[in-house]
Amino acid sequence: MFPVKPMKPTFKCYLPPVQTDVKRTIDPPIKKLEPKLLPGEIVVNEANFVRKCISSESSQDDLWGKLICTNFKVSFILQDVPSKQKPPMSHLLLGEHDIPLTCLEQVVTVNDTKGKKKVLGSNQKLKFNPTELILYCKDLRIIRFCFGEAGPESAKKVCLAIAHYSHPADLHLLFGFEYQGRRYHESKEERVNGSASRGGFQTPIFDRPSDWDREIKRTGASEWRVCSINESYAISSSLPEFIVVPVSLADQDLNRYSVFFTDHRIPLWCWNHSNGSALVRMASINDPLQQRKIEQRVFTAITKSHPQRSEVHKFELDKSLPNIQDVQAAFVKVRHISVIDPFEESEERWLTSIENSRWLEHVRAFLKQSAEIVYCLDGKNVSVILQEEEDRDLNCVVSSLVQLMLDPQYRSLAGFQSLVQKEWVMAGHRFLDRCNHLKKNEKEESPLFILFLDCVWQMMNQYPAAFEFTDAYLTVLSDSMWIPLFSTFLFNSPKQRTQHLMDFAKNKAIPPGEDQVVFFPPVWDWSQQFSTKDQTLFNNPTYIGKGAACVQNGEVKTFTRTKQKSYSSTMRGTASSMRNGVKERGEEALVRRSSLVSELKPDFSPVKDESPSERFFRDWFSQPADQQGLLIPLLMPSHVALWKLFFLRWVPEACIPKGGPITAYHKISQLVDEIEILQSQLRRYKGPSPGNTPLPSQREPPLTQRRMYFKATSPTPPDYLSSSFPFTPVGNLCRRSVYGTPISKFLNGARTWLSTETLANDAV
Amino acid sequence: MEKSGSIDSLGSKRSSSRQPSVDSLSSTSTSRSDRSAQAKPPSAMSSDSMSTSAEFSPELRVSSLHVKPKTAVKQVLRDSEKEEPQLLPNETVQDMAQDITYFCPFTGAVRGTVMVTNYRLFFKSTDREPAFVLDLPLGVVSRVEKIGGASSRGDVSYGLVCKDMRNLRFAHKQMEDTLRKSIFEVLIKFAFPVSNGLQIFAFDYGQVFPENGWKVYDAISEYKRQGIPNESWRITKINDHYELCDTYPSTLAVPVNIPDEELRRVAAFRAKGRIPVLSWIHPESQATVTRCSQPMVGVNGKRSKEDEKYLQAIMDANAQSHKLFIFDVRPCVNAAANKKNGGGYESEDAYQNAELVFLDIHNIHVMRESLRKLKDVVYPNIEDSHWLSNLESTHWLEHIKLILAGALRIADKVESGKTSVVVHCSDGWDRTAQLTSLAMLMLDSYYRTIRGFEVLLEKEWLSFGHRFQLRIGHGDKNHTDADRSPVFIQFVDCVWQLTRQFPAAFEFNEYFLVTILDHLYSCLFGTFLCNSEQQRLKEEIPKRTVSLWSYINSQLEDFTNPLYVNYSNHVLFPVVSLRHLELWVGYYIRWNPRMRPQEPVHQRYKELLAKRAELQKRVDELQREVTNRSASSSSERAGSPTRSITPVQTFV
Repeated sequence: MFPVKPMKPTFKCYLPPVQTDVKRTIDPPIKKLEPKLLPGEIVVNEANFVRKCISSESSQDDLWGKLICTNFKVSFILQDVPSKQKPPMSHLLLGEHDIPLTCLEQVVTVNDTKGKKKVLGSNQKLKFNPTELILYCKDLRIIRFCFGEAGPESAKKVCLAIAHYSHPADLHLLFGFEYQGRRYHESKEERVNGSASRGGFQTPIFDRPSDWDREIKRTGASEWRVCSINESYAISSSLPEFIVVPVSLADQDLNRYSVFFTDHRIPLWCWNHSNGSALVRMASINDPLQQRKIEQRVFTAITKSHPQRSEVHKFELDKSLPNIQDVQAAFVKVRHISVIDPFEESEERWLTSIENSRWLEHVRAFLKQSAEIVYCLDGKNVSVILQEEEDRDLNCVVSSLVQLMLDPQYRSLAGFQSLVQKEWVMAGHRFLDRCNHLKKNEKEESPLFILFLDCVWQMMNQYPAAFEFTDAYLTVLSDSMWIPLFSTFLFNSPKQRTQHLMDFAKNKAIPPGEDQVVFFPPVWDWSQQFSTKDQTLFNNPTYIGKGAACVQNGEVKTFTRTKQKSYSSTMRGTASSMRNGVKERGEEALVRRSSLVSELKPDFSPVKDESPSERFFRDWFSQPADQQGLLIPLLMPSHVALWKLFFLRWVPEACIPKGGPITAYHKISQLVDEIEILQSQLRRYKGPSPGNTPLPSQREPPLTQRRMYFKATSPTPPDYLSSSFPFTPVGNLCRRSVYGTPISKFLNGARTWLSTETLANDAV
Repeated sequence: MEKSGSIDSLGSKRSSSRQPSVDSLSSTSTSRSDRSAQAKPPSAMSSDSMSTSAEFSPELRVSSLHVKPKTAVKQVLRDSEKEEPQLLPNETVQDMAQDITYFCPFTGAVRGTVMVTNYRLFFKSTDREPAFVLDLPLGVVSRVEKIGGASSRGDVSYGLVCKDMRNLRFAHKQMEDTLRKSIFEVLIKFAFPVSNGLQIFAFDYGQVFPENGWKVYDAISEYKRQGIPNESWRITKINDHYELCDTYPSTLAVPVNIPDEELRRVAAFRAKGRIPVLSWIHPESQATVTRCSQPMVGVNGKRSKEDEKYLQAIMDANAQSHKLFIFDVRPCVNAAANKKNGGGYESEDAYQNAELVFLDIHNIHVMRESLRKLKDVVYPNIEDSHWLSNLESTHWLEHIKLILAGALRIADKVESGKTSVVVHCSDGWDRTAQLTSLAMLMLDSYYRTIRGFEVLLEKEWLSFGHRFQLRIGHGDKNHTDADRSPVFIQFVDCVWQLTRQFPAAFEFNEYFLVTILDHLYSCLFGTFLCNSEQQRLKEEIPKRTVSLWSYINSQLEDFTNPLYVNYSNHVLFPVVSLRHLELWVGYYIRWNPRMRPQEPVHQRYKELLAKRAELQKRVDELQREVTNRSASSSSERAGSPTRSITPVQTFV
C-alpha cells in the first residue's frame, strides 16, 4: 500500500544556478563587437563599455557590451558571449537585445549625480552627460543602460542618435522601405523568372475581386456582389478598391449616395450568416436632411438581400462603446501598473488598480456589444449594420469579434489572418496613426488592435480548443506591429499603401506590374521573422477544427461535425426564427440582464421579464459549446481576466519558473505529436503497395511536417519553460529597488531573496 | 437574511403568470442545478449511480435519482410525478411536504415538493418541465432562519444559510393545524443532530467501497518513506496513550538524543504540550520541517533549558547548517499579545543560533470574517461594476498570498538554505498546519499525487489535531460559535492556486479539491469528524464510518489530472503575487448559473489519449499483419495476402 519510493538525492531547485563569475573589471575589447546588420541597415552611432542592467537589486548580473544605434534598431552587443542557452524563440531579424526604433515609446536620459532626467525627442539638445538611458518600448519592455565606464561624449551622442532616429520625419524613412527594396533585388536571382507567386502563405489579402468572391461563395451570400466602383480609389480614399454591396444597389446609386457619407464610405458588407442575415458596416451620414432617406435606401437594399426579407438593425457604436481616447487612456494605465510601477508597491492595491485602469471594463464592453450583435444575426435572424462616424476604428473591433464568434473559419490561423486583413487593413484602420509610428500626433494614438487581440485572448481563454492558434501567436502578432518591415501595420488605408508602394517601386527600380505583396510582404509571411520550428509555437494542440491533423479522419466521435454549415446550429436556428417578431433593443437588454437576477425583488418573475436576448444567451449557455459552432464568451466580470502573457511577460518577478500554462501546453503537444507520428505511420502502411514495410528508421515524419513545437520524444519539460515562455523576462527592468522590511521582500515572489539566500549559504 | 415583506406578493403571483414558453428556460435552470449537484456525487447519489457522476447530462442525473432503476429509464423520465432521490444505505425519509416555494436567486420562484431525510434535503419542482431539483446534504446547513410568519397572507418563509457559499430560501403556507410541525422544523432537527441528541449520518452510512480509505495513512510507513528513523531522528511511543499531548498523534518523530523524560519537560513549556516534532525531512540535506505550539514564555520571559536544548538538537540533526529558523506564523503584535496569556515567542537570546521570523498571518477570526465578506461579494450575483475592488475589500486573496508566501519561505529555507525550520503559531493546529502542509507540498512531489495528498491531510491536519469538529461545527446549531473558521478551506484554496501555477505538477484535478471540500461539510464520511486522533479513536471513527478516501480511491479516474507529469523531486516555487493569484471561481461562484465551467482542456486531453490508443492499436495490428505476411509469404506464396490486406483497406 505504501510504496516507499527510493529517494534519490536528486532534489533540484527550479532556479537557475547563480552566476558568480560576472566580470567586474573591464578588459580592453580584444574582439571587435560587430552588430548583425540587415540589408540596407547602417550603423549611425555607437558607444562602448555600456552596461545593460539586469536586476534592480544589484549590478552583479549586468551585461557589458556595446550599444549601437542603426537606422533600424537599437542593438546591444555583449562583450562576453554568455554560456547560457539561446532564447527559446529566436527572431530571424532581431537579436535578443535588439529593439526596433519604431518600437520605442520613450527615450529617457538620466544623470544620477546631477539628479537630472530628460525625455528626448527628435533633434533635441542634451545639456547634461547622461549616466543612464532608459528605453520604454511599445511591446512593454523597459530597458536600462548605464554609461558609467563609457565616455561621456559618446554616451550623449548615442542617446541623441537613438532619440533622433526613432522619430522619423516621414513614412518613407521607416527602415522597411530600405530593407524590402534591397531584399527584393538581392533575392531576385533566387526566384525563378523574376516575378514570384504570393509567397508561401495562404492568407487572402482582399486586394482583388477574387478574394471577395470566394468569401461571398463561402458564406452563401448570393444576394451580394463585388463592386469595383472604388477602383483606383475613385470614390473614397479609405475604402478598398473592391467592396461587396447588395445586388439591388446599382453602381450609379452607390455613386450618388457616396457623397453623403463621411469620407464617401458607403456601406461595406462584412459577412453573411448561413441564415441569410448580413453584417454590414458603414460611416455616418453627414447631411442630416438626407440621413433618413439614404439610410432607408440602404436598409431596403440590405433587406432585399436577406432571403426572409428580414429587417435591419443599426448599431451606433460611437454611442455605446468607449472611444479611442478612452481605450488609449486605459491602456496607458494598465501598462503602467503592469510594468512600470514598482512591483511590490503595485502589489498592494493590484486589483483596484487594474479596475481603475478600466482596461478590462473596455474589453468587456466590446465583447458584450459583439455578443449582442451575434444575438441579432443568429438569434433574431436580422441583418445588422454597424455605424461609426468614420467606420475605421470601433467598427473594426466589433465586426471582427462578431465574425470570430459566429464563424469557426476565422478561428483557424489562416482565417484569423484573413479577418484582420479584411476588417482592419482593407477596411482602412489607420494603423499608421493609431500606432503613431511617426510619433507626430499622440492624440491619434490608440491601441485598438491590441484591444481586439485582448478580446480574442479572452475568448481563447474560455474556449481553449476553439482556436487554431495560441496566445503566443497573438503576442507575437502584437509585437510585429512595432517592426516596420511589413506592409500590414504601416499605412492608414489601402490607398495610402498603394501609393507609397508605387513610389517605392519606382524608386527602387522594381518593375511595374510586380505584385506589391511580393516586394513588400505583409506580416502574414511568418517565415520572414521565425524559423519553421519556431512557428510551430503558433499551433494549438487542443484545437478542434479542420486544420487539426488529428481530426483528419473524423474517427473519434467527439471530433465529427454535422454536415450542416457548422456555424449555424440547427436547433438554435429554428428556435430563433420563432422569435423574429420580437422587438428588442439589444444593448439595454444586456445591461438589464445583470440586475434582473438579483435576489427576491417583490415582483420577481424572470420568466416573464426575460427578454428574448436573455433567453437566447441562457439557452446557449445551457448547452455544451460546440467548438466549431457559435461561441459566446462569458461576460461576468469574474471571467474577464488580465492577459498575463502579454502584460507580464517581461516582468521578472511575475515569471513562474517551470510553471504557467506552457507546462500544460508542453504535455498536450507531446501527445498530439505522438498521434501525428502514428497517423503518418498508418499512412505509410496504407501506401500504394502494402507490401512495403516501413523501415524502423522512417517512423517519424520529417521535421518540417511536424506541427508541434514539443516533440513526443522529450518527455520531461525543459528547464527553460516559464510563464513568460517563449519570451525571456531577464534584462528588462528599470525599477529602482525598494528596500523594505524583509517581509515585504519575500512577499513579492521568491526570485530576489532566493538568490541572495543561496549565495549566503554557499559562502558558509 | 432578507426582509419578510417581499415574499407574500411573490407567492401570489408565482403560479398565475406562467407562460407556455417556459420550457427552455427551466431546462436551463435544471441543468444548472444539475451541474452544481454534480459537484458532490456521493452525497446526492448512492454508490451505484456514482459512476455517472462525471456526465453533465440532465437525463442521467434525473434517472439516477430514481428509487427503482429496474423500470425502463425513458419511461420513468416522463413520469415525473413519483420522482424521488435514490436513498443512501440507511438513509430514511423523515418528512415530506407539498406546495413549497423555493426562491431561486437566479431563476425565480419555483413551486415543488420537499423531502427531508436524515441526510439530505430534496426539493423537486412541480411546475417546471423538466423538473428543477435541489439536493443538498444537511451537513452544509449552517443555520436555519424562520422569517415572517405573522405576515398578511400567512406565508412562512425559511432561509437556509449554507457553509458552502450559498443561501437558500423556501416558503410555504401557514400551517392551519398549529400542532403540525413545519417540515423545516424537522429539517432543523436533522441538520443539527449533535445539538438534538442525534447521531451524525456518517455513523449510519454503511456503504462498502472496494478500497478501504482508513488504510491510506499509516504514520510509521510515512516516516519510513522519509527515511525515519535514521541516525538523528527516532520514533517515540511516548504519546501512545495521548498522555504527553492529547491533541497530537500517538506516533511522533523526535531528535535521537532527547530521551523521553526530557520530552515531558519540553511539553510542559509548550502550549497544550505540543512539542516540536518532525513533519518532513529533506532526503538530501537532512534539513527538517518541525512543528509545535508557542513556548510558554509569559510576561516574565520564562525560559526552559530543556526546550532550548531540544531546539538545539533539532538544529544539530542537520549537519549542513548551523542555524535554525523559527517561523512564528502570527503577526508580531499578536505573538507579543499572547504573553499576557502565558504564551509568546522564543527570544533569540535564549535560543542560540536560532533566528525568529514572523509571517504575519492573521488568526481564525479574521479569516472567518474575510470569507463572510467574500460570500457577500460573490453570492448570489456578482455586481457588474467594481468587481475587483469589491474582491480586494474582502482581503481574501491577500490572506491567501500571505499564507503561500510564508510556506514558500519555509520551503526555500529548507531547500535552498538547507536549514531546518520550526513552525508554530499559538496552538499549532491552524496556521501551522496550513504552512507545514503547503511547504511540504512544494518540497515533496509525493504529496502532489492523489494518495500522497491524502497522506498529507491525514498527517498534518487530522493526526496533528486540526480541530475540524470545532472549525466546521458538524451537526451543531451554534452557528455563531467563535471557534468556527474556514482555515481548511483556505488551505485547499492555496493548493488550488498552486495547481493553477503548475498545471502539470499535480496528479489530482480541481474536482478532487472540490469533492474534498464538499465532504468536509456533508457528514457522509467520517474523515473530517472529531478534533483529534484521540477523539477519533475513542469514537471508533474508522470502525463506524466510511473514509472519504474509500470513495475517492475507488474511482481515481474522476479525480486524476490527465496533464500530470511526475516532476519527481522537483521543488515548486510559486510566484506569490496578486498578479497570479485568482479567485477560485470553480468553487466560490459555482452556484451561479451564469458561471459555465470553462471548456476543460482536461476533457480534450482525454479525447486525445483515446485517439492515441486507437491509433496505436491500429498500427500494432498492421505491424502484426505485415510480420505475419512476410513470415507466411516466405513459406507459402498463395492465400494469405488477400486476407491480410483487408484491414489495411478498411481503416479509413
